[in-house]
Amino acid sequence: MSKTPLLEIENLHAKVGDKEIIKGFNLTINEGEVHAVMGPNGAGKSTLSNVICGKPGYEITSGSIRFKGKDLTKMSVEERAREGIFLCMQYPVEIPGVPTTTFLKHAVNAVRKHRNQPELDTMEFVKMVREEGKKLGIDADMIKRPVNVGFSGGEKKRLETLQMTVLKPCFSILDEADSGLDIDALKVVSEGVNALRDGQRSMLVITHYQRLLNYVVPDFVHVYADGRIVKSGDKNLALELEEKGYAEFVKEK
Amino acid sequence: MTGLLQDIKLFGEYIPWLQALRNKGRDSFEEQGVPTAKTEAWKYTKPRDLNADDFVFLPSNFLDELRAETTEACCCHHENCDCSGDCRHEDCGCGHHHDDSHECGCGGECHCHNHELNLNYGIPFDAYQIHFVNGKFIPIFPALPRGVEIITLMEAVLIDEAKEHLGKIAELDGYPFAALNTAYMEEGIYIRINKDVKLDKPIMLINHTEAGSKNLFCNLRNLIVLENGAEAELVEWYKYAGAQKSRYFTNIVNEIVLGKNSRFNHYKLQDEAYKANHVSLSFVKQKAEAEYRSFCLQKGANIGRNEIKVRLTDEKASAEVNAAYIMSGWATLDTTTNIEHLAPQTFSEQLVKGVVNGDARGVFQGKIHIAPDAVQTAGHQLHKALLLSDTAEIDVKPELEIFADDVKCSHGAASGELDERQLFYMQSRGIGREEAKQILIDAYLEDVISKIQNEAVRNWIKSAAQTEPVK
Repeated sequence: MSKTPLLEIENLHAKVGDKEIIKGFNLTINEGEVHAVMGPNGAGKSTLSNVICGKPGYEITSGSIRFKGKDLTKMSVEERAREGIFLCMQYPVEIPGVPTTTFLKHAVNAVRKHRNQPELDTMEFVKMVREEGKKLGIDADMIKRPVNVGFSGGEKKRLETLQMTVLKPCFSILDEADSGLDIDALKVVSEGVNALRDGQRSMLVITHYQRLLNYVVPDFVHVYADGRIVKSGDKNLALELEEKGYAEFVKEK
Repeated sequence: MTGLLQDIKLFGEYIPWLQALRNKGRDSFEEQGVPTAKTEAWKYTKPRDLNADDFVFLPSNFLDELRAETTEACCCHHENCDCSGDCRHEDCGCGHHHDDSHECGCGGECHCHNHELNLNYGIPFDAYQIHFVNGKFIPIFPALPRGVEIITLMEAVLIDEAKEHLGKIAELDGYPFAALNTAYMEEGIYIRINKDVKLDKPIMLINHTEAGSKNLFCNLRNLIVLENGAEAELVEWYKYAGAQKSRYFTNIVNEIVLGKNSRFNHYKLQDEAYKANHVSLSFVKQKAEAEYRSFCLQKGANIGRNEIKVRLTDEKASAEVNAAYIMSGWATLDTTTNIEHLAPQTFSEQLVKGVVNGDARGVFQGKIHIAPDAVQTAGHQLHKALLLSDTAEIDVKPELEIFADDVKCSHGAASGELDERQLFYMQSRGIGREEAKQILIDAYLEDVISKIQNEAVRNWIKSAAQTEPVK
């Protein structure tokens, strides 16, 4: 079976202000693959996800990122999202005054429009969100509240998962998706994530701990330290890391 | 001197008390003049355009003239199109605004400006409609329930109905445009709601300006009297069509008398053309336990000022004065309030929020005065603005004058920008940046607009706030 590359990152260097954070990062993710990037705190894991999504404040100094063969770095944040990139955030942003349903409807219709699909009317939309929300343990009351305002850590992650479910991205980045989750919430979120694994969609799981990878089992595991991948392997590498820690990969300062 | 003072013939000059009132207004305006940068009450809002000498007063038979002028001179006679006058074709010489794109699908076959009087402006709720075109009353009266009277101000003058209150609620000194309005007092309506009558739907007063290239000057003077226990709602809507380049001037004075235990909701949408001048003054006098609630959205005009002066003269009278403004370009939109607590246990609350873009300037001047007798009163005031550009400006002048002990008063002001983290979050979900901004702006104004009690009016104002102002 020939594999089609979805995301191709080559020799990427990126900095925030004057500080170089990503120093020669290479990674290719093919359709249907789930990759985990694990690394110690401060390795620049979040910078990686932000650079892929196009968050302002990061400067790519050299290297390239291609998505479905297109130069990703030339696209705006929203274009990347519409092309199918979804960032499940470590710290979802609160938006007071904007009901979650309103926010979701704008997002879903923006993406549908891009895919030349008809926009959903309110009835169709509410029905879809209710059904998908139910599977994630999100009740109708929660999505009437302003986006993430007053949500617990678990509720925020459920909402991130709901967004991922309704936007149907072909590539999802889970950035420390398990932080702040108790074991029950972790199961629910993982089930939501796994439901999207259909052999076509790809994922990049960025995590500090191995815990999440028990539920979202990766095809590949990479150790990320000091701005680049220092070791790659299969899911067993994650277990190894859990046991030995990152010490051997972190340079003595 | 300004072109605002001209000798024109007014109705009812033979009525001594009316003419005396007008003369008083004229003298007062001559003395005060158009405010300058040195006028304290106008130090942030500079109505420079009002010094022009090319203001035009419409004759009372203007409608016939307007029709005659346009049907003969206009080269754009197209019929049966859906453009409802919105298709603007540039400079064909007819004095109307056209462009050749014909995006309305009329293929150039439209009759955009036939000036047939079409008063169907798409009002999305049921109301008792009162229409003015270019500041002139259109003599169509709505069918009213018992106990409610709406007549023109000049009819009211003839039968001495208005004599008791007219010119007695409004002040002239310190209010040059109220003085000017008094000098030309003629157009406007008189509304009276009888004792204990509760009106079932809002009265809507629409002034539709279609000024062409002329700098029209129109004065509107309304007198609104709610007797004891009466309840009513008034919606004022100032709108325009056709040529937008006119520096026309609409000058409004409302005198509002609220009897004991009456309730009056006063809503307004100011959506004038982008070079227009709009100055409005509402003087409100409230008896015991009377409730006044107002909300004004300003989004049009080059200079727009909505000023409200409330006098809480008796115990337990309360006023809620809320407003919002949305602006860009070079406009100045001004909200000025003055709440006088003159009796014990009176209550006032104000929330004003603005969204300022481009080189525009938002002004809020809010005064709360608490007289020595007005113990156990509460007056609260809050102004907030969202600045969308580096060159946008807001000027805020809160004033508290407290001469009594045992009162609760507060004022606050805050300004901010859109939160980049929130914009990024929405963009990362595929929502375009401009759309994301609009969502945040709508959310910003949500709390002040939600203070509009009437749901239909609230939805109407909300959708008006979501429509981009003319740049």
